Amino acid sequence: MNDSTLSIRGLTHSFGDRRALDGVSFDVRPGRLTGFIGANGAGKTTTMRAVVGVMRPDAGEVTFGGAPLTLEVRRRIGYMPEERGLYPKMRVADQLVYLGRVLGVDKAEAERRAHALLEDLGVDDRADDVLHTLSLGNQQRVQVAASLIHHPDLLILDEPFSGLDPIAMDAMAERLRERAAAGVPVLFSSHQLDLVERLCDDLVLIHQGRIVAAGEAQALREERAGRRYRVAVDGSPTWRPDLIGATVLEADARGTVLELDEATDPQAVLAAAQAAGPVTHFSRALPSLSDLFAEVTR
Amino acid sequence: MTSRSDLVRIVAGREIGVKLRDKAFIASTVVFVLIIVAAIAIPALISGGTSTYTVAATAEARPVAEAAAAIGGADERPPGLPRADLTIVDTADPVAALGDESVDAAVSLDGGVVVLTGRTGVAGDVRNLVTAASSALAAQAVADEAGLTSDQVAALTSPPAPRVDTLEESPDFAVPPELLGMVFGFLFYFTVLTFGIAIAQSVVEEKQSRVVEILVAALPVRWLLAGKVLGNGIMAIGQVILIVGAGLLGAQLTGASDIVNQAIGASGWFLAFFVLGFFMLASVWAVAGSLAARVEDLQSTTLYVQLAVMIPFFASVFLLEESPARRVLSYVPLSAPLIMPGRVASGDAAAWEPWVALAIVAATAVALVGVGARLYAGSVLNTSQRMKVVGAWKAGKGR
Repeated sequence: MNDSTLSIRGLTHSFGDRRALDGVSFDVRPGRLTGFIGANGAGKTTTMRAVVGVMRPDAGEVTFGGAPLTLEVRRRIGYMPEERGLYPKMRVADQLVYLGRVLGVDKAEAERRAHALLEDLGVDDRADDVLHTLSLGNQQRVQVAASLIHHPDLLILDEPFSGLDPIAMDAMAERLRERAAAGVPVLFSSHQLDLVERLCDDLVLIHQGRIVAAGEAQALREERAGRRYRVAVDGSPTWRPDLIGATVLEADARGTVLELDEATDPQAVLAAAQAAGPVTHFSRALPSLSDLFAEVTR
Repeated sequence: MTSRSDLVRIVAGREIGVKLRDKAFIASTVVFVLIIVAAIAIPALISGGTSTYTVAATAEARPVAEAAAAIGGADERPPGLPRADLTIVDTADPVAALGDESVDAAVSLDGGVVVLTGRTGVAGDVRNLVTAASSALAAQAVADEAGLTSDQVAALTSPPAPRVDTLEESPDFAVPPELLGMVFGFLFYFTVLTFGIAIAQSVVEEKQSRVVEILVAALPVRWLLAGKVLGNGIMAIGQVILIVGAGLLGAQLTGASDIVNQAIGASGWFLAFFVLGFFMLASVWAVAGSLAARVEDLQSTTLYVQLAVMIPFFASVFLLEESPARRVLSYVPLSAPLIMPGRVASGDAAAWEPWVALAIVAATAVALVGVGARLYAGSVLNTSQRMKVVGAWKAGKGR
């Protein structure tokens, strides 16, 4: 295990009779963006709150680089809570400096970083305004800056992209990639599956308090691709193979998606397609993240 | 890692910064200081000055006017007569003399009767002095005819004032100690209430805005509480010192140095009780804030703390006279800061009494801070709903 992997083992927690987390275990590896996906109430926020120490789980263990999350370790986490958390009546730059100082950055350095982050996120012109006078999207950018002010060694972000416009989303994605490239493990939750699909190296899927899939995004999709193939024949968009052992799942302008039986050789399908015309596309059809999500949460 | 004291200081610094930028806080402090200065300066100015009058006198009335001026200017005056500087100008016609704006009244004689002429009336000081002068002169004239010596005349016209003997010696106070005790009690009540509500509000604001999640991920809950209480405590004590200081300065400037000495003597105990009493209640206010989920809940969660401040205050107002109840309440932690400094000021408390009461308040403060910290820790992260004390106590275990 690498020195700065966040390991979550057997997190279990109940709210009254309702079991919110049931043996949640997964790793967040350094240098990678890990997307945390699940339906509302699946346990994402509870897991994240347990990691940062805001909530104490009934059972389970969280370690960072093999060490338990003591206060000193927790102070190196950049955390963005789901419902956000800034002082509505405090000026933007002031609160970044304050949070920076609470997290151990000295005052002058915190001021420098606050302005640099605000500029980076395109809200530096609002630095001296009181937070609640900013639009929700801009408040969100300030929130992002707040989680980065102390150059954290680990990022735990609950829905960091919600409420951001596409430009801010790109800026945010850029910041996260930058941190990951610097060797920081980044865990973030999101409902925007296409975004997670585009951005993430690793995925963790949670359903009703249980982890249903976790690992490299590409591997997870390939694992679940099964014997599904997409074939496109030039000039014949709705080409259908005359083969036994292949079921057509869908056929549209992008080609035909087939589910092959165990006994069917994919090469035979390719040959049949080539016989029908020039083949412009032939690949295993990896499930999209939404397919994957729908499948595992079924 | 940033040290514990640094973190507490940073949190306290924010609380102070917020207060210093709060216009309502600044305005209320300024108004308070002005009220105190006015309350001390205005009576001093009213009673302290010597009135001056210009009195016109006809030639025959001049002795009366001179006698009145002599009485008004004397340090030892018969009881009931005011001190006043009378300037006498000569005139032949009292009515014409009043044509001069600087003349306040005119004295003349009308067949042996002294006549005071004024525009719409005659100042009470002048009337009293002239009346006394005229009766003294009349008595003098009668005495001269009777052939009495000047000593006999003096004994007749200004008999010595009665000597006052008391069975017990009462301490000499410049202001009534009850008043001083009441002012101190009100200052404590007012400050604890306003700062207490400010602490509760600051806590619930952090809860409601969820900042507390970020803070608690980064520093222990108890340090956060300590910073909050410390920051507000410093501001509260600063405000009280400013108000008391302004009052003392006002008294000093108006020459009431005996008030200053008396108040300084009593302020030491007041401040000692104030500091401990404030910190005793501050963590309870913080708990009242952390039990609420939204600012609107404060009304109900702070109710009992408000009562715990108000009831002792009204008890202290009704128990200004020394009584067994007052004595007992001056040891009860919630009412001791309101009553014991007053008992010391009025000389009703023995020298050891404030020390014992202070120790009781200190012990209660330590206990309440401990209980308060646990309740705060148990409730401050429950952002979804209003909490009950029992639930907070259970949740706060070991945090």
